[in-house]
Amino acid sequence: MRKYWEISKTYMKTQLVWRADVIFNMIFTISKILFAYLLWGIIFQNKESVGMFTFHGMLSYYIVSSFLSQLEMSEGISNEIHERIRNGTFSKYIVIPAGIERYFMAMELGIVLFYLVFDFAAAVVWIFIFRIQFVFTTQWQVIVCAVLMAGLGMIFMIQLNYFLGILTLRFEGIGTFLMIKNNLVSLVTGSIVPLALFPETVTGILRLLPFYYVTYLPAMLFTGQCQEEAVRGLVIIGCWCVLMQSAIQNARKKYFRKYDGAGI
Amino acid sequence: MNKNQNINKDTTMINTANLVKTYRRYKKPEGIRGSIASLFRREYEEKTAVNQIDLSIQAGEFVGLIGPNGAGKTTLIKMLTGIIAPTAGTINVMGYYPNDLKNAFKKQYAVVMGQKSQLFFELTVNDTLRLFKEIYEISEETFQANKNYFVQLFGVGDLMDVQVRTLSLGERMKMELIVALLHNPKILFLDEPTIGLDAVASKQIRSFLREINEKKGTTIILTSHYIEDIKTLCRRTIVVNHGTKLYDGATDELFERFQRNKRIKITFDSAVKTMRLRTGGAKLVVDEPYKKEYEVARQDAKALLAELMEHEPKDIVIEEEEIGIVVERIYQEGGNDNA
Repeated sequence: MRKYWEISKTYMKTQLVWRADVIFNMIFTISKILFAYLLWGIIFQNKESVGMFTFHGMLSYYIVSSFLSQLEMSEGISNEIHERIRNGTFSKYIVIPAGIERYFMAMELGIVLFYLVFDFAAAVVWIFIFRIQFVFTTQWQVIVCAVLMAGLGMIFMIQLNYFLGILTLRFEGIGTFLMIKNNLVSLVTGSIVPLALFPETVTGILRLLPFYYVTYLPAMLFTGQCQEEAVRGLVIIGCWCVLMQSAIQNARKKYFRKYDGAGI
Repeated sequence: MNKNQNINKDTTMINTANLVKTYRRYKKPEGIRGSIASLFRREYEEKTAVNQIDLSIQAGEFVGLIGPNGAGKTTLIKMLTGIIAPTAGTINVMGYYPNDLKNAFKKQYAVVMGQKSQLFFELTVNDTLRLFKEIYEISEETFQANKNYFVQLFGVGDLMDVQVRTLSLGERMKMELIVALLHNPKILFLDEPTIGLDAVASKQIRSFLREINEKKGTTIILTSHYIEDIKTLCRRTIVVNHGTKLYDGATDELFERFQRNKRIKITFDSAVKTMRLRTGGAKLVVDEPYKKEYEVARQDAKALLAELMEHEPKDIVIEEEEIGIVVERIYQEGGNDNA
């Protein structure tokens, strides 16, 4: 385990090098909440509630979900694997005595831990500036479920991106596919619009998919909603993680032998 | 510290038989029409990069692997390190099938590829070394001892706390070697470690490699385009071309047999007409007013040099034949029995 913790620490250190990145990430978090404040402010002008949300409930959801979606940075994994397989430098990970998938998990953890601090600070500052009456559940069982679900959601996204990265060995170029996936994921995780605002049939379908449990449901749970879905959600996202792990193992067995390292 | 010294010199570290690697590569007809057509129908061709190579390398050997571009050297290294899987044949490196990618195997070798880095460019070398200490599960004592040894050997003490991306190419290569050697590997694979380095840096790297081979007993496999690297470091050389082994034997014998000519470049302060030379067999290959170049048999070089000095040159440079020419000659005349 020590080696993976050291990998996390190393990537945390790499994040600290680029100060501009840190600042822009914070500005981005703040600007997202600002836009949400303005947008939902207009929508709620003549209404007490939209769907199941009050104005402050909506902003609370937005702050939590944008905080979680900012932490979900695993798309870098598929991009890194895709790029390195194509230019032949993926061997960097092959030759070291560490599991490649676990290396990427540790890498992600290092990056997330770093941004966790800054994004949390940005969200708290924002709550105070706009005097948002932050809605947060007080039931510890729900908080535990939400934390576990957010964790499993992130693990699933790491697995998904790792799996997609490996597919480069089969399809050679998957850049466009990754771009489409990123756009779809940001929609179906509810980080653009709360999924509760979608028609019930659409939400019903989304409940079967893992993305519902990455940002949306944990954010809803944290803000005191959809509590009846907590346990079922944990089971579903857990099953998706197991399924994705078996897909990774199959892909690894099938495609790792295809790696040619680019060049003779 | 010298962990590898207890390895018996007769231990076979690498053994391959009939090793083959065939790549499948996509062929696209020229132009935009070809690009569109290839979207619907693709043509592939097979390229055999390594063809029936038998290899046996003993512990502590320093082996040069030479050949022109595309000869299959890098592919061979990639198969020996497990980066790619062979298409056919058997391969055994320290008792392992490399492409199984077992951690126990990976802890026993290191690979340095001149154009591929293991360093983190944003971080300092010290940070990267700390990471590799944990990845290779090196004890703190061994880590400190090895780090101090290599930092002193490479003379890079003042560079350990600066960002890797700010280092020169030569400095970076020294750091790559330190990272690679930190865990006392039994085998060190080096793919073009001196590529792009100036003469001073190349010489330093060569002297470090010699010391590591002699003092630590590390088996080293080196590919290089530079004759100097091979001649000064490797007692044994393997020549490959078109994926096939052409020569496998003593480096001295290889160059004695196949590096037959020298190239003498001579420049003048004033324009000089084509000279009539007494030295037989000297071939004029460049004839310009201020510059001449001769190709001459090695045994006649001394006489030609003496004769050229009579013409009061501004400068004279003597060069060995390039690896490519040597390989081409071996290819035409046949290598040795071990190939």
